Amino acid sequence: MNFIDLLMLGFGEAMTLQNLSFCLLGALLGTLIGVLPGIGPTATIAVLLPITFFLPPLAGIIMLAGIYYGAQYGGSTTAILVNLPGEASAVVTTLDGYQMAQQGRAGAALAVAALGSFFAGTVATFAIAIAGPMLSQFALSFGPAEYVALMVFGLLAATILASGPVLKAIGMILVGLLLGMVGTDQATGAERLTFGAVELFDGIDFIVIAIGLFGFSEIIANLERSGSEGVTVAPITRLWPTRDDFRRSWRAVLRGTGLGTLLGLLPGGGATLASFSAYSLEKRVSRHPEQFGKGVVEGVAAPEAANNAAAQSSFIPLLTLGIPSNNMMAMMLSAFMIHGITPGPSVLTNQPEIFWGLVASMWIGNLLLVVINLPMIGLWVKLLNVPYRLLYPAILLFCCIGVYSMNNRIFDVMLAAGFGLLGYAFRKAKCEPGPLLLGFVLGPLLEANLRRTLLIEQGDPSIFVERPISLVMLIATVALLAMMIFPAFRKKREEAFQEEEA
Amino acid sequence: MKTLLALPLAAVLSAGFATTALADWPTDRPIELIVAYSPGGGTDIMLRTLAPYLEADLGTQIPVLNRPGASGEIAYTALSQARPDGYTLSSLNVPGFLTMRIGRKLRFDPADICPVARIVEDPGMFVVQADSPYNSLADVVAYAKDHPGAVSVGTTGVGTDEHLAMLQLEQSAGIKLTAVPFGGANEARTALLGGHVTLIGLNAGEFASTEPGQIKALGQFGEQRSTLAPDLPTAKEQGFDVLMASERGMATRCDVPEEIRARLAASVEKALTNPEFQEKAKQQGLALSYQSGADWSAAMPARLERFQEIFKLIKDRQ
Repeated sequence: MNFIDLLMLGFGEAMTLQNLSFCLLGALLGTLIGVLPGIGPTATIAVLLPITFFLPPLAGIIMLAGIYYGAQYGGSTTAILVNLPGEASAVVTTLDGYQMAQQGRAGAALAVAALGSFFAGTVATFAIAIAGPMLSQFALSFGPAEYVALMVFGLLAATILASGPVLKAIGMILVGLLLGMVGTDQATGAERLTFGAVELFDGIDFIVIAIGLFGFSEIIANLERSGSEGVTVAPITRLWPTRDDFRRSWRAVLRGTGLGTLLGLLPGGGATLASFSAYSLEKRVSRHPEQFGKGVVEGVAAPEAANNAAAQSSFIPLLTLGIPSNNMMAMMLSAFMIHGITPGPSVLTNQPEIFWGLVASMWIGNLLLVVINLPMIGLWVKLLNVPYRLLYPAILLFCCIGVYSMNNRIFDVMLAAGFGLLGYAFRKAKCEPGPLLLGFVLGPLLEANLRRTLLIEQGDPSIFVERPISLVMLIATVALLAMMIFPAFRKKREEAFQEEEA
Repeated sequence: MKTLLALPLAAVLSAGFATTALADWPTDRPIELIVAYSPGGGTDIMLRTLAPYLEADLGTQIPVLNRPGASGEIAYTALSQARPDGYTLSSLNVPGFLTMRIGRKLRFDPADICPVARIVEDPGMFVVQADSPYNSLADVVAYAKDHPGAVSVGTTGVGTDEHLAMLQLEQSAGIKLTAVPFGGANEARTALLGGHVTLIGLNAGEFASTEPGQIKALGQFGEQRSTLAPDLPTAKEQGFDVLMASERGMATRCDVPEEIRARLAASVEKALTNPEFQEKAKQQGLALSYQSGADWSAAMPARLERFQEIFKLIKDRQ
């Protein structure tokens, strides 16, 4: 069977009434949980996983996949309209998206986000279909040494991404690294920073920190206002972007899609890393970086395209090698395993309807999502028009359910509440929590991989410059560092952020 | 003052409940099954697949509750604090259950927890890339003798099955290997496929569910060859004293009435002979191996002793 036949087979499978309904259900659920802050795709899929047991394999997998990429669409809606990222991957969208909304251009921001996501979703779907088996080889050549170089680069990029003084950004990264150290040390089995609490043996969950810093602290910050206003949902006037918006965003969408597709492939990568990276890339290549954070359309287009592309391309290592690249894909792997299907090349040859059906459903799902999200945007926003006194307790409830449902323990909820207070303090101190999250995610990966590299090489660090990918990354890091120190660049960066604060 | 008075009252009441509960067990309320791992993990899927068969046999409901964390300690602590009325079960994983007490202060007393039945015995294996020059444990040992520390072994952390197997091989063959910890079996497998480590430890079930043609196994660490890998020689057959198998089953508190524990074990045994369940187990790569709670318990002290010796090796090295 050639490529077209296989794709037709996939569409045939995906278009059956049953599979189409589950695709729609997944997309709707994904949008819903994406819109509602606090409850994310990880928690939702964890809750729904047992239910898929009773569905036919393809229908269950199509639905779960729909939840994941659907959440990437929904997450941007609240990020733009309420400055509340529905998903961790939508955190950067708040920077420019909310500013655009404040300037009365919410409609344009939403449309660019949805169209950019659709474009990226389409590209990523074809990437899975065409390049899946080839690209998995690239992910495999990423050994511990390459990871170390990538993490170092990522952490340095995070300081540039952060607004405000570099020192504060570095401080936040360090706090993130510290939090990432909590738990049992993998290499020696020693307990670190657990204070004897058995709940901290496995470290702090990403969701606990994310919901605390973003969900809870948002609610606390809103308590400062009088109770009557409700969530300040920016009004949506004109939905279609202007010609200028299109002109400015198409390149950003292309770059975001490319970067997102690549980063989604890497183990440990995924939607969040992709959106952060795409934003910083966009800012660096822009001719007017000083406008970032003040409502530029590229600042919405790039990360939204990137997170959607990454959400889908992270299926590639799973589907071709059976290797989950992040915790979401680990969930998807279990969804396959529940039905006795082991993802891998044999699925492509023995059960092509599963692989191609899923690929086709992703494209259909993306189409459905544009329909769900654009013309029906008013409906989703209505969710946020519910008065403050009703909405925030509801969000709080969802946050608590989401945190509780991960491990079924109240300790995590208390911990998230603690992070809520911390996040509020950070807000008051004008410290951006973004770098903290990145430090938290990348720190443990950096540490583990550095130790692995040195163990494998028996203490010889020359491998970092011998391996080409690692060498390129490290050169890029040094260049970045030089730019930071180089007075002209530093001045320019400071100017950019000063204007932002003014 | 009020609570002080209420306590004996509560004790009397719960004692009363315990006796009535015994009479109606197991049909009057659901039996909670605590799983010490996250949804979707091997133990979770195994028990979720098994639960409907137990439900049908016992005529009750068995909801699964995941209490992951601290390699099972959170679940075992929850079990040891539940009422001993037979309405709370938990997963039980060896060697984790035995090794966690070595050099670590636990929040529960391992003596309070008694196995009900073993469901799976899944031996460890050492696995290399399909095109690796090594074809047996002896090949690796020969190379490691000439190049101490040059053979890297992907494990999932200190004191895990793979690490303990590696230490035994080092001890038995008089060689030195380098342990490289990974976040999980999947991560280790990726590193192996990418050629970043020489070999990794996997369970037979994990090996069976991996794409054939990518990796090959050098030896298995059970007492006998597993049903999942009947053609692969054990380490003992190859002349190395390495014993390591992951055993999974269920447990209750020890003070749960004996007839309830026996009934549960019988129900598990019955499910394991059901061809429908066996078919599902085969799909999941489960190496079914029933053992009664009593037999399993009896085997544990010897295993614990062996693990203590191995842990002493780790300590001596540090």
